[in-house]
Amino acid sequence: MRIISLIFCIFCIIVSFSGCTSDEKTARPKVEVQPVVLRLKWLVNVSAAGEIWALKHHIFEANGLHVELKEGGLEHNAIKDLELGRAQFGVASADQVIRAVEKGADIVVLAQIFQKNPLKWAYDASKLHIQGPQDLKGLTVGITYGGNDEAVFRALMAKYGLSKEDIRLYAVRQDYTPFWNGEAQLWPVYSNVEGLVLAQKMQEHGKRLSFFDPDAFGVHLVANSLITSRRIYEAQPELVQNFTKALLQGWSQVIEPQNELEAAQAVHEFDNSLDIKLIRQQLAATRELVTTDTLPIGTIDKAAWKESEEIMLQQGLISKPVGIEGVLKDSLR
Amino acid sequence: MKAFFSRLFQFSAIYTCFLSLLWLAKYGMGLSDYLIPSPVEFLNTIQEDGLDYVAYSLNTLSVAVLGHIISILLAGSISILGSLKSTIGTVTRVAAYNLQAYPIVAVSPIIFIFLGDGLASRLLIAAMICYFPLLLSLLGIFSQPVEDVEHFFVETGKIHHRLKLTIRLFENLKKLLTVLTGSATLAMVGTIVAEFLAATAGIGHAIKIALYQDNLARILLALLLIGICSSVYLAAIEILGEVVSRNLQKD
Repeated sequence: MRIISLIFCIFCIIVSFSGCTSDEKTARPKVEVQPVVLRLKWLVNVSAAGEIWALKHHIFEANGLHVELKEGGLEHNAIKDLELGRAQFGVASADQVIRAVEKGADIVVLAQIFQKNPLKWAYDASKLHIQGPQDLKGLTVGITYGGNDEAVFRALMAKYGLSKEDIRLYAVRQDYTPFWNGEAQLWPVYSNVEGLVLAQKMQEHGKRLSFFDPDAFGVHLVANSLITSRRIYEAQPELVQNFTKALLQGWSQVIEPQNELEAAQAVHEFDNSLDIKLIRQQLAATRELVTTDTLPIGTIDKAAWKESEEIMLQQGLISKPVGIEGVLKDSLR
Repeated sequence: MKAFFSRLFQFSAIYTCFLSLLWLAKYGMGLSDYLIPSPVEFLNTIQEDGLDYVAYSLNTLSVAVLGHIISILLAGSISILGSLKSTIGTVTRVAAYNLQAYPIVAVSPIIFIFLGDGLASRLLIAAMICYFPLLLSLLGIFSQPVEDVEHFFVETGKIHHRLKLTIRLFENLKKLLTVLTGSATLAMVGTIVAEFLAATAGIGHAIKIALYQDNLARILLALLLIGICSSVYLAAIEILGEVVSRNLQKD
């Protein structure tokens, strides 16, 4: 009998407490959040650190947005998703944007996340000393046929008068075996992501990795940028402003050195294939790509976009100028 | 010749329906040329890239034919070994089934390490992709006794393993030809997969480049040529099969 009374008392207490919580909930004003899908350019890794930080620290929610991050890839292109209405925002590089605009895709660029292109060529510095493009003569260089690295490298070759006889091009595939075997001495990588993974592996094998950076030799092709459709840009300016502001706030905070450990842990939750120490190194490298000495984070480098368009024209990747200036909308400035 | 035209007609009808639906969706939903190319862009692509793509497709077809021949030899040898009731037979069957359980994208890095990204890798991957249906059919054929015929040789004491296999092969010739024709499509698919993963030639390589460049018009052209090549190859096998079976029945 005593046990039954005890159970009854506990039940009453639980019911009364749950009643209180329920009343409190109904009393609190409801905040309307708008669901938004952001399609990334590639997999969730350190190149999306700002997005991850804004998500983890409820920056999007504070701006009235419930954001879902979706990974990108060859078949999951942000521009296609925007046109089909499957995403409201996306991340794409200049070559993707310019190609799409040429074919009538109605998109706008809201912010440029990477001020420098992370695309570089890795090489073993214990064997090679590359000071400039002329030092590439006689070497075998990996390129992804059809990829943006092909456009960049061919533009570099044209700019410095290097011919097919000077440099042997090697078709890149997903694994690094030809680079390890020495079949190709230079291999294209995203310096802030797989570049550092490769550096770690090379160090373990007594090698020293260095990067050849076309950007340092005047070939500028803009990388990750925030885009949306012109329809959303014109019809929902508030949404565009709030999203861009939240995303850039995420990037401003994630690259602060004092937030590095927490940021690495946040990225690790999405991509646990790498250890926190390596992700911290990746974050430090990403910081160099996102910031400049003078310009605020997210600034669109219009000259670099025009140069990207020129490179694509020279390489025959587009048949006519697309007037890229009309697509660049610095929505916060 | 009738088989050629029949196959080509079937493919043309399906491809035309597919293109019509695609363009219906494009104009119905107001999609840009970036997402789905217009008929004019498709025709321009045929004009500009057609010859190159025909060369890539023929390259792929030649590798697919070779890969198919290798896979027939491979499946034939393994199924003869697998039809044995000894330990070798059991081990062969288990190994053959297990090998097929691994996706080719996971096995391909090992193939590329040892064979590089040239012709040998393309051939091996094409053969690996299309050999399994062949193997299953051949194992089925070789292990299924043809009681009516075999009974005579068993009773007269003249039966031996080679004779058993010959009887079973001959009695199931039609079934075998159907499987051979079916696996030809897989040989083409296998070669394209290999080229997509790592190669510097063939239509699979061209599709990969077109994907990087978001060029659906080129992919549509590639699909057209792949379809034509597959139809021609299938028709060729059917004709060859008919000739062989007619000659065997004469004998």
